[in-house]
Amino acid sequence: MNAINLKQSDSSQIELNQIELVETVGNIYADNAKMKIRGADVFYGDKQAIHNVSLDLAKNQVTALIGPSGCGKSTFLRCLNRMNDTIDICRVTGQLMLDDDDIYAKNLDPVLLRARVGMVFQKPNPFPKSIYDNVAYGARIHGLTNNKAELDEIVETSLQKAGLFNEVKDRLKEPGTGLSGGQQQRLCIARTIAVSPEVILMDEPASALDPIATAIIEELIDELKEKYTIAIVTHSMQQAARVSQHTAYFHMGKLVEMGKTEDIFTRPSHKLTENYITGRFG
Amino acid sequence: MTNLTARSTDDSKMNKSMSSTVLPATTLSTTEKVTLSLKKRHQREKRFKRIGLLAVLFGFMLVTVLITDITSKALPAFHQHWVKLDINYKSDWLNVDNSLSQNISANQLKTANYRKVLKNSLYQMFSTSQSKKLSRKEKRQLVQLFSTNAEFTLKDTLMSTPGHLNKQMSVWVRLDDDVDSYLKESFPVGEAGLRINKQQALWLAKLTAEQRIESRFNVSFFTASDSREPELAGIKGALTGTLLTMFVTLLLSFPLGVAGALYLEEFAPKNRWTDLIEININNLAAVPSIVFGLLGLAVIINLFGLPRSAPLVGGIVLTLMTLPTIIIASRAAIKAVPPSLREAALGLGASKMQVTFSHVLPQAMPGIITGAIIGIAQALGETAPLLMIGMVAFIVDVPTSIVDSATVLPVQIFLWADSPERAFLAKTSAAILVLLALLLVINITATVLRAKFEKK
Repeated sequence: MNAINLKQSDSSQIELNQIELVETVGNIYADNAKMKIRGADVFYGDKQAIHNVSLDLAKNQVTALIGPSGCGKSTFLRCLNRMNDTIDICRVTGQLMLDDDDIYAKNLDPVLLRARVGMVFQKPNPFPKSIYDNVAYGARIHGLTNNKAELDEIVETSLQKAGLFNEVKDRLKEPGTGLSGGQQQRLCIARTIAVSPEVILMDEPASALDPIATAIIEELIDELKEKYTIAIVTHSMQQAARVSQHTAYFHMGKLVEMGKTEDIFTRPSHKLTENYITGRFG
Repeated sequence: MTNLTARSTDDSKMNKSMSSTVLPATTLSTTEKVTLSLKKRHQREKRFKRIGLLAVLFGFMLVTVLITDITSKALPAFHQHWVKLDINYKSDWLNVDNSLSQNISANQLKTANYRKVLKNSLYQMFSTSQSKKLSRKEKRQLVQLFSTNAEFTLKDTLMSTPGHLNKQMSVWVRLDDDVDSYLKESFPVGEAGLRINKQQALWLAKLTAEQRIESRFNVSFFTASDSREPELAGIKGALTGTLLTMFVTLLLSFPLGVAGALYLEEFAPKNRWTDLIEININNLAAVPSIVFGLLGLAVIINLFGLPRSAPLVGGIVLTLMTLPTIIIASRAAIKAVPPSLREAALGLGASKMQVTFSHVLPQAMPGIITGAIIGIAQALGETAPLLMIGMVAFIVDVPTSIVDSATVLPVQIFLWADSPERAFLAKTSAAILVLLALLLVINITATVLRAKFEKK
């Protein structure tokens, strides 16, 4: 088995060297783009993790980033709200635009950017505080309101939008870490929504959850796209097919193919994409 | 394969009962191989457990021996003997003008000659019963039985009840430390003891027989400062000095240490300079403390002109010593805060400052407090650097501020341990007990604080 796999990745390596010269296959453009990325390169020290990626995130739609482990999709996602700034050796070049703002511009404060572009992480990471304080934290630090009643309102609507309110309304003062994994992840989503971001980035939000919790999260994502632009990294092809309208396939730091989700999953244009979604490697 | 065979033959040598079942390694199944090694592995575990338990017991035994020894030596210091004397406040002994006896001024009473009153009252008490006059030598020996503080006790008694002028009254005074030690060591009645001769022993036997001697709880040990006379010496000065010094140390080293650690962990870029700083901090933690004392003397006292022997200077010197400990412990605690927590807050748009103070610091607090307590406990027992900055001086007053001259408990212990008087032996142990008690209080406070922060 190993030998066969090795052979295949060898062959894909050859193909990849060829596509370096070629444009990404499919359609990277969206009619109504919330974020536009053109020619993004990401380096960790001397090592290049992302090669010349260009794509649009369509407004109020879900874009799925798929690809084998280590292909750079999470790295790319974290560039979109400058979370990579925390890594000293990480360097990002290219043009990354949120509406008309260059998010890597010198005069753009990452704090403001992250208020506009929220993020949900792979592992649920609620603060070791009460459920209420978890959701209220973002509103508090950004000074969205000084009014207790308004804050209560924000917390309640955010929890409702995240589909968690009915489960926790009687124990808002209890620690968020005491919830189940799926509830914790929805709490994290509620926490993100409470800041009213424009874009929500999700880095494998359901990978640590059981199928039932996953289904709830997926449903939630579908509802959230009415108000927010969403980019989601996922390892589950079924999940990408279910929740997203656009899919981008990454391979070894390069964007191989992008297009409408139904096209990617039914008529992939690139050999690598086809191999991946049919489960031949990855 | 050869190795495996060798191993199994080893096993068979070790365990004869199993040797019959040992077959060549090649034919053994995994279960059999595991079974063979299992006994040895369990034995190893048992052996290690035993060694560990032994180590714990040994440590516990040492602590028990230490505490028992110190406590048994310290106990005599907590009570002392008083004696009831019949004092005759004759105005001519007091050297007070008798003609104005109706309204003697307080000032006259203050400057009166109480030593003469004490001596003459004593001669009266002891010569009448022996029906012969005391010789000069006997008189000296008699007065030696009582604390030099006795005349002040007489003075205080008369000052509070001026009506007793020219009258006889019973007054309780302290016995001299040598007498106190002699009584505590329970020599046979009337027998000479250490620094007590036959005649003095007889006098004491007589006082005891008349039930004039009483053992009382030694209040002055906790309310008085240092003294040349062991029966008067107390630890209040040293204890206050220690508390003031620790106050300064904590006030300086805790915020500085935590701020330093937070900066290095959360804000500073990781480059050659911060590596260099890290190495220097680690080195600083290993510098002998007396060097900090010399630094304090040369820089803080001589260059900046801060007062000698003051808790302020002591606190600064101990801060130098405590700071690296707190920084190293705090950095470890900050490093242990899960990165996912930082990411969560950053992802919501918290600034670095907000992430640090509302998430990282509260999470790291229990670890930081532990580090701070270790540092403060070290500083609490430190003697050497304080000797260099003059906190070893003989100071009788209780310090009232951080710039007063003071000494600290460990230095007081050092001073008393060095004193020739026998009674200081018990005082030394008693002071050690107080120091240990203080340490215990600090540790309990830390545990409570830790629990409080961990619950949050």
